[in-house]
Amino acid sequence: MLRPTTLAIGVTTATLALTLAGCGVESGREASTSKETKCPWTPDKSVTTSARIAYQKIPNADLVVKDLSVLKACMPNAKIKYSNFASGGDVVQAYGSKSVDIGLMGSSPATIALSEPLNLPVSVVWIHDVIGTAESLVVRDKSVNDLKGLKGKTIAVPFGSTAHFSLLQALQDDDMDQAKDVKLINLEPEKMAAAWQGKQIDAAWVWDPVLSELKKTGQVVLSSEDTAEAGKPTYDLGTASNDFVQKNPAFMKQWAKAQDYGVKMLTDDPEKASESIAVELGVSPEDAQKLFEGYEYLPAAQQADQDHLGKKMSEDLFATSKFLFGQGSIDKVAAPTVYADGVDAGPAEEAAK
Amino acid sequence: MAQPAVQDNPSRTDPAGSDDAFPSRWRRFGGSESGFHPWIIRITVLAATLLMWWLVTKLELVKPLYLPTPGSVWNAFVLANTDHPVAPGVDRMVRGAQNYYLWEHLLASLQRIGIGVGAAIIFGIPLGLLMSTVKWIGIVTEPYLNFLRSLPPLGYIGLLIVWFGIGDTSKVWLLFLAAFPPITMATISGVRGVREDQINAVLTLGASRRQSLTTVMVPATLPEVLNGIRVAVGFAWTTVVAAELNNGIPGIGGLAYAAGTELKTPLTIACIIVIGIAAVALDGLIKLLEKLLVPWRGKA
Repeated sequence: MLRPTTLAIGVTTATLALTLAGCGVESGREASTSKETKCPWTPDKSVTTSARIAYQKIPNADLVVKDLSVLKACMPNAKIKYSNFASGGDVVQAYGSKSVDIGLMGSSPATIALSEPLNLPVSVVWIHDVIGTAESLVVRDKSVNDLKGLKGKTIAVPFGSTAHFSLLQALQDDDMDQAKDVKLINLEPEKMAAAWQGKQIDAAWVWDPVLSELKKTGQVVLSSEDTAEAGKPTYDLGTASNDFVQKNPAFMKQWAKAQDYGVKMLTDDPEKASESIAVELGVSPEDAQKLFEGYEYLPAAQQADQDHLGKKMSEDLFATSKFLFGQGSIDKVAAPTVYADGVDAGPAEEAAK
Repeated sequence: MAQPAVQDNPSRTDPAGSDDAFPSRWRRFGGSESGFHPWIIRITVLAATLLMWWLVTKLELVKPLYLPTPGSVWNAFVLANTDHPVAPGVDRMVRGAQNYYLWEHLLASLQRIGIGVGAAIIFGIPLGLLMSTVKWIGIVTEPYLNFLRSLPPLGYIGLLIVWFGIGDTSKVWLLFLAAFPPITMATISGVRGVREDQINAVLTLGASRRQSLTTVMVPATLPEVLNGIRVAVGFAWTTVVAAELNNGIPGIGGLAYAAGTELKTPLTIACIIVIGIAAVALDGLIKLLEKLLVPWRGKA
């Protein structure tokens, strides 16, 4: 009687000890299989900041910087922790719990963060990309060539996303009523493929990898590039908490320089950049490189100018806030100055020097 | 058509005696001297399922995005456990899936479940004892326990993230909150199930209060408590995906979710199978523990 009991307790203790302490698995591990990166400029050893960075698997320079460990190479004494997020909404939530210092999100979530009721103390400090054909409207019926042809049809889009914003802008520009002329349904991308297969949706405004999947049996009629040309661009933005930016200007400078380095690699040496993107996205470098066409990447000098972070960005955020208010995603449209204060071109300017 | 009906049921007319026909059949299924051992049946069913799966995908009745072939699932499983090139013909190597091996994902989830359920045991059993022995505590806390028990974890994970951040703390809290109510409930029902006359009997025989606790109460409640822990571990498994939806890498639930969003169906299925096997194995371990700790269970 005693022996099996002792044995059982022994087994349990051993199992518990093994799982709890013995071989811990730490989160936020970086790809150790990448080659040692040298900082492309003189590393700043004086930075000892510990930074928590929220990233998303979107093919832009942020992933290149992460994969090549540029930040670590240029700030050897800083502590950097990356966390992966599935959507901008999740990053906003993480800001709310003060769990991140720097994070990537679309222009819609960024506007939500700056507006009532959240009023998060964050700023837009970087444009990771301008969304082009990467977010497109695919239609199953190949005889439909424009938005008007979708009258009475069901269109799926993740509500509150940049794609949603682009779709509503496009509808507005075509004088179509989003409530009467079409049926919009809120669907996460990964669920669209099944709904598409089951013919429950006629069209979707979505991004990769689902976009490529739907394109196999459908055709693209519009993209975020078109809405951007019509004056309503959408972005993937780099945001940072105000407190962090204020306390760590040297870190922000290095961070922006690293991003700029990544952008230049994307435009000048896409083959090299595609390898890093491939590692992060889990696709082949060839496929990764194709994704670049869907985005526009801007170097630091261009980001800082009047057409972007310098001035235009705050107007774009203000326009987005009006859209979000119409959707009930925010409680009210703040004064234009709120969005102007919510954009900080400082790090981009520093990096451009 | 009446004849086949009779033929269908030969045991009824078995000359060996209708009395014995049923039990002997069951004994065979129970795994004894002759015929079908339960494991043989199980393995046959498993093989048949795999064959069906293979056939359906081989004939391309379903697109691979919705149901990949068993081979590609196995392939995804192997790749997720090894260092492999990012694509065929490319030098750059990557580690497992999302920079962790699959077993590390599993281990990370097991750690969270271990801590969550461990805390639930430490907190849940004393709470159950208090609730069942001190009347007013039971009256006050029972509605809250029932309230908590009925909440879906997906509903309040967002709240826990805002309170405890995106790290492991919020995940462990979620698992704890999912795991402790069943343990507490089991403890309560265990204590209530102790027969009063048994306690009175040892008391009359001169046992002290403490002795009555250690010799009657604990052994009598232990089977229920262990059962509660089993249920709690089951709950923890179902909750782990919800817990790992945000920043859940490493974590097997987080990996399954991430693979789903990236439309990597083979890896998603591999994760599901691994979760299932791990859960069954853990359950088996607890069952074994139960056999060792409370061999008298079911023999009262």
